[in-house]
Amino acid sequence: MNDRATMQAHLNKLIRKFMHIAVCMLLWSVAPPNVYAADDLVTPSPIAIVVHESTGVSNLSLAELRSIFLADQQFWSDRTRIILLVRAPQSDERDFVLNRIYQMTEAQFRRYWIAKMFRSEVPRGPKIVFSTDVTLELVVAIPGSISFIRADEVTDDVKVVRIDGKLPSDSGYPLK
Amino acid sequence: MSEPEFNILGFGDISYVSQDGNNEDGFFVGQAVAHLTASLSDSFGVFGEFSLTGKDSEYSVEAERLMVKFDFSDRFKLSAGRYHSPIGYWNSAFHHGAWLQTTISRPEVVKFGSKLVPIHFVGVLLEGALPSGDLGLSYKVGFGNGRHGNIARAGDAGDINSDKAWLVQLSSKPKRMFGLELGMDIYSDEVTLPASPNVDETTITAYAAWTKESPEVIFEYMHSEHKLVNDSSASGDVNAWYGQVAYRLSGKHRLWKPYVRVEQTDVDSSDPLLGGEGLDYDAGVLGVRWDFNPYAAIKAEYRNEEFSDAGRENNFRLQISFVLAKL
Repeated sequence: MNDRATMQAHLNKLIRKFMHIAVCMLLWSVAPPNVYAADDLVTPSPIAIVVHESTGVSNLSLAELRSIFLADQQFWSDRTRIILLVRAPQSDERDFVLNRIYQMTEAQFRRYWIAKMFRSEVPRGPKIVFSTDVTLELVVAIPGSISFIRADEVTDDVKVVRIDGKLPSDSGYPLK
Repeated sequence: MSEPEFNILGFGDISYVSQDGNNEDGFFVGQAVAHLTASLSDSFGVFGEFSLTGKDSEYSVEAERLMVKFDFSDRFKLSAGRYHSPIGYWNSAFHHGAWLQTTISRPEVVKFGSKLVPIHFVGVLLEGALPSGDLGLSYKVGFGNGRHGNIARAGDAGDINSDKAWLVQLSSKPKRMFGLELGMDIYSDEVTLPASPNVDETTITAYAAWTKESPEVIFEYMHSEHKLVNDSSASGDVNAWYGQVAYRLSGKHRLWKPYVRVEQTDVDSSDPLLGGEGLDYDAGVLGVRWDFNPYAAIKAEYRNEEFSDAGRENNFRLQISFVLAKL
């Protein structure tokens, strides 16, 4: 019984230490150093959020945009399924979006989508596109699609969505 | 309507295990798991998960999950089939995806073949988001077969009695604290064991998970109450919890992620369903994960544990786990 009591005391001490460490780490993490930032992030032009012209949305808050890019929101208000197009790795636009919208590293982004598919929360990952031209072609062609390109590459065929009420040319635009 | 799409994911792992007093130390091929997803239209799809598990003299094949899904909107998604029971966090977040979970071992309460919670659920499930603004609330409501006569298994071939199981889960991903997930759920069933009186089972689970990796914190608590249907004075409780903290290092050490977990399970000896099963347990786990490849990880783990006052045991595990994915 003494051994049992000693072991229980050790266990209780371990639990207290564990909870202490967990609480401290959680508090610290609410305002962490920006470990997700890419030091050499290149943002030659603001990033514009573009959607298929039939999409009935003209403004999104940054939180709503994040919810869409995380596939927590998968349908537009008219119940059209949202089709997310994401640039392939090694593009400045992708690095920017991972940093500013996803707040994830490349590895965390990959793991996030694999986990999402594993949990059967999404039928597929985002569609991967390899150039701005292909992005524009697909956004024009696919109802419900949403993607991102440099603001100076936007054409008249796609609709640019305001973020927090601002266009890429406005001061205070959040994706600059 | 868009063209049908077909996607495949695969998970697998190979481990080396060394344990006190065990002459069967050695290498183990873990589960090989295949996920098949077919999107047959924008709102209708089929999802399957099939596992291949090494046994003493053979491999067993199992349909771990198989469901048809109708996604009407973000607020209403209806599905039918076999699921990882949406009870608590770990069981549906990681399950057969060894590469997905930070650690090698699962918490004892949700280990494969656990009798403490129904690991799988067969029935229908309605789920979706609730209008809640920045709280990011969502729900799951399930109705289906209860546990099999072998309570570690789901009622795959119909319910063993006329009382169906049901569950309700409410979870939150607050938009202002990206990475945090909170949830609680309740599960209820009437369990029928061979040559034993029926038992009412009610399980309540609560969890909190901070899923960013620096740090990653998961805490889960489960309380089960079991009562004989014909004699409610014959009852007992199960209380189980675990807490896990991991931390992804930064800079040139970013591929490394040390972790620690503490867990405990207490089962009343008077519990009419589980009291005689010897399920009391406590353990401390310490390990490190090395993501040497974007799709594979090597983990090393030390565990000190005790089952039902049988004396403490030490074991050491080394595992390589991987995912086959195109992303």
